[in-house]
Amino acid sequence: MIEPEEGVPTVLNLSEIAEREKEEEEKVVEIVREFGAENLIYCMQCGSCAAVCPLARVGFEWYNKKLIKALLLGLKEELLDDPTPWACVACNRCTEVCPRLVSPFEVMFAVRRMMVEEFAIPTLAIEGLRALYEYGHAVYMTGREARKKVGLPEKPPSTDSDEQALKDLKTILKNTKLAELGLIPMND
Amino acid sequence: MIAETESVKGENKLKFGLFLGCNIPFNRPDVEQAMRKIFPALGVEIDDLKGQSCCPTWGTMPSIDIVAWCAVAARNLCLGEEKGIDLMTACNSCYGSLNEARHKMLTNPEIHKSVNEILAKIGKKYEGKSKCRHVAWVLYKDVGLEKIKESIKYTLDDITIAVQPGCHFLWPSNVYPDKEEDPFNPKVLRELCEALGAEAPYYSKLVDCCGMGALRSTDPEKSFTLVKEKLECIKDELDADMIVTTCSSCLIQLDDAQERLRKEGKLNFSIPVLHYVQLLALCMGFDPGQVAGISVTPRDEIINRIIKG
Repeated sequence: MIEPEEGVPTVLNLSEIAEREKEEEEKVVEIVREFGAENLIYCMQCGSCAAVCPLARVGFEWYNKKLIKALLLGLKEELLDDPTPWACVACNRCTEVCPRLVSPFEVMFAVRRMMVEEFAIPTLAIEGLRALYEYGHAVYMTGREARKKVGLPEKPPSTDSDEQALKDLKTILKNTKLAELGLIPMND
Repeated sequence: MIAETESVKGENKLKFGLFLGCNIPFNRPDVEQAMRKIFPALGVEIDDLKGQSCCPTWGTMPSIDIVAWCAVAARNLCLGEEKGIDLMTACNSCYGSLNEARHKMLTNPEIHKSVNEILAKIGKKYEGKSKCRHVAWVLYKDVGLEKIKESIKYTLDDITIAVQPGCHFLWPSNVYPDKEEDPFNPKVLRELCEALGAEAPYYSKLVDCCGMGALRSTDPEKSFTLVKEKLECIKDELDADMIVTTCSSCLIQLDDAQERLRKEGKLNFSIPVLHYVQLLALCMGFDPGQVAGISVTPRDEIINRIIKG
């Protein structure tokens, strides 16, 4: 960390941290590549992705370009406490403009997957997973009155009204990594 | 890899599985009702895709594991494939998640194989044939602007619309069955609105993000910054009579955040927001209470203007 002068905010010196964690470097890149960010290593830091990223616009710390740089330098611990990857709207503007086919969106989501393994997952995401498993829908199951009001049956023709389909979905979920992680109860 | 864009036309009749998602049936069921009214009236048969679930949306399985994401998506796609039809959705997130998952399965045999091993446990297999279409593209390409013009009872004369196609209608363009000529200068929704008689001009923040989804649940303050900028641009550049979107998330954000901003004294105007299928349903003469009955920002005035001319 660079010592701040008076009135100057602390600057995170990425290279300095990277020096410290050099041995971690290869490992982090391999982890995120494993989790779907295969083309991460082709990034040339041109910044096209940052120019179109809604997260960069509103001031999130680890927006796409900076996140990729940090990963290539081997940083991991610094990222785990930060909410940025969980704020990504998956809009894929970055994927569309990337001249190196890095797909920065995949990097954001690979970091989410890495964070999940470390249990650095927001409560809301857990609630969404729980609702998906319980009902097959990742929303609060309100709105039944609203459905009636607009002339629709109380339940849509989904897992919400089809026991076998919900059972099938649960079988699928139980055979995925979600079950291994043990983030939500999946007993029934 | 995903070349085919022709949707299944059994006996020259258009038929799609209506994929609802989560936000539409539980938060905005008037959008569901609008689709159930307009499509049969336009000669498009709807299958209920009984047993469908969440697509899965971004904060769930896509954040956990790629194969898990594709497996949930594939079960939904199977429901169409088993009947020889494509899905169609009015939710951009579903459109994005299902098509990205399909693209992964079709371009990566290992993922496809792992998914089918999981699906085998419930007696299913995804061949990769059925895909998910967007209702706006179905209306634009399969139904066609002429048929839309013929089907409407009310036209939108002297009405200016600010269009909001929404992110997953556009990007990443290589995974979608239909794509704009220039995804950063989209025309489809503008033309669909013009077919109803309205003006739908370009404005400088047309393709900007509304700030919904993960951004809003992570940091509402930052999310409202984006939506406020967008709304102010729409007011300043177009003085639009309404905002029309093809995405259920944009619909909720633009409608709901607008009211929150007004309550906090950060916004001093009001612009009604509709999903395109709702606007079309209103123009076709369906009951406003059923097809456009749920909103936070008031719609009565604009609906009366449409209906009374």
